[in-house]
Amino acid sequence: MRSLPELQQAFAGALIDATRAPALSPMLRGAGPIERLGIYRGNLYGNATKALGGAYPVVRAIVGEEFFEGLAREYARAQPSRSGDLNACGDRLAEFVSEFPHTRDLPYLPDVARLEWLAHLAYYAADAPAFDPARLAAVPAERQAMLRPRLAPACALMESRWPLARIWEVHQPGFAGSIEVNLDSGPDRVLVHRPQWRAEVATLARGEFRFLAAARDGASLGEALRAAANADPAFDAGNALAPWVSLGAIVALD
Amino acid sequence: MGLRSPHYRDFLDGRPPVGWVEAHSENYFGAGGWDRHVLSRVRERYPVSLHGVGLGLGSSCEQEEAHLRRLQRLVAEFDPVLVSEHLCWCATPERHLNDLLPLAYTEEALALVAPRVERLQERLQRPVLIENVSTYVEFAARDMGEGEFIAQLVALTGCGVLLDVNNLYVNQVNHGNDALAAMQALPRGCVKEIHLAGHFRGEHCLIDTHGDRVADPVWRLYEAALERFGAVPTLIEWDTGLPALDVLLAEASKARARLEARHALAA
Repeated sequence: MRSLPELQQAFAGALIDATRAPALSPMLRGAGPIERLGIYRGNLYGNATKALGGAYPVVRAIVGEEFFEGLAREYARAQPSRSGDLNACGDRLAEFVSEFPHTRDLPYLPDVARLEWLAHLAYYAADAPAFDPARLAAVPAERQAMLRPRLAPACALMESRWPLARIWEVHQPGFAGSIEVNLDSGPDRVLVHRPQWRAEVATLARGEFRFLAAARDGASLGEALRAAANADPAFDAGNALAPWVSLGAIVALD
Repeated sequence: MGLRSPHYRDFLDGRPPVGWVEAHSENYFGAGGWDRHVLSRVRERYPVSLHGVGLGLGSSCEQEEAHLRRLQRLVAEFDPVLVSEHLCWCATPERHLNDLLPLAYTEEALALVAPRVERLQERLQRPVLIENVSTYVEFAARDMGEGEFIAQLVALTGCGVLLDVNNLYVNQVNHGNDALAAMQALPRGCVKEIHLAGHFRGEHCLIDTHGDRVADPVWRLYEAALERFGAVPTLIEWDTGLPALDVLLAEASKARARLEARHALAA
């Protein structure tokens, strides 16, 4: 009698690759095992498609429903799920799409997938209570520059040569404006954040991006402001903090 | 009834007349966010049961430590009235298949699953319920029937049973396994929860879609289950083509009528 690991290996193999089902068949009892294994195979790819579609609605809208199903199937085959939590299974889609020959005519797709994965992570990220700006006022002016701004756990920064924020915007549910996207209007620097429960994407000027990236990397307020001013002469240091505090992107000054 | 995202609003804005709510553990594995927020609100008003679909107690590869840790944290935070997992496998060392796959009911499998259930109970500091799954194929290798396997698991670990009556019926039709005999194999006091659901008559066998009303033969088996195990808390599962809350509540009230009749009998 075959061992349990052998039986399960044979079963998994037959789900991934239908040509291996006949080899499993003698280990099963009952009628029509090949056809019935097909139900499990359908579940495997159906579940992957559903989970990926949930995490990547913009990619799905760009390539279309039918193509997305094929993409999800190929991805699930090539990039085995490593978690019992299906919400985690899409973590390598951007890399997969960048190598996928059938989407070469959509060169921005990998970056769109990267952005959507950041938004997906933001959706599940830890909540962070808002920061009360009055607490900053209580710190003596000469000490303020030494405080370290902390980004909310949901925040992530991304740069792309493509106009990501615009691509994201026109594919949001309920978007009613012109869906035209000028692909040459990049590059884009964006912040993924979660003001309340939905992940949002904000376009950043060069200086804002430097400022938030420095904060993310643990810089002090003074260091972050200097880095931003060096990168972008137009950076407004006087208004660097307030908008992100009110959006809940900066949640502490330690 | 089950907590599913299309019904979140019903639970936030009102108070649907259900006795308790069951949530799929994995949907609340995130560190924060909307789903967890809704579950905390629901937990303030209802007893909550956590039902895991991804642990795969029968997978012959190592258990995923991160998964166990998240489950442990969720249980500690929400203090559910019941915690359940499925009797199945779902991963090989190479990949997770993210499905409830049929276990070979062998001594070897029992020797794998029983210590895992014990460790799970130790980690969660409470007994867990183990649910019987529906299957489309069965391994030829078997030392015992499904009911006997579960009964042994109960005897070895002190776990409870979440009896899915629809799954028993699906397996009876698909494999000729006697659903009543499977229930008879279980000790009377071990069933702490019952699941009911609709299935779909596929070309090759019955498919456990959780996408329809409960079928008549399943209601009859449910009555037999109540007779054997007493008035056990019962949940209607509906996952595919989720209808409006009213339809679900109507199914739940059919179950409640049978439960109350059983209660009256006991009194």
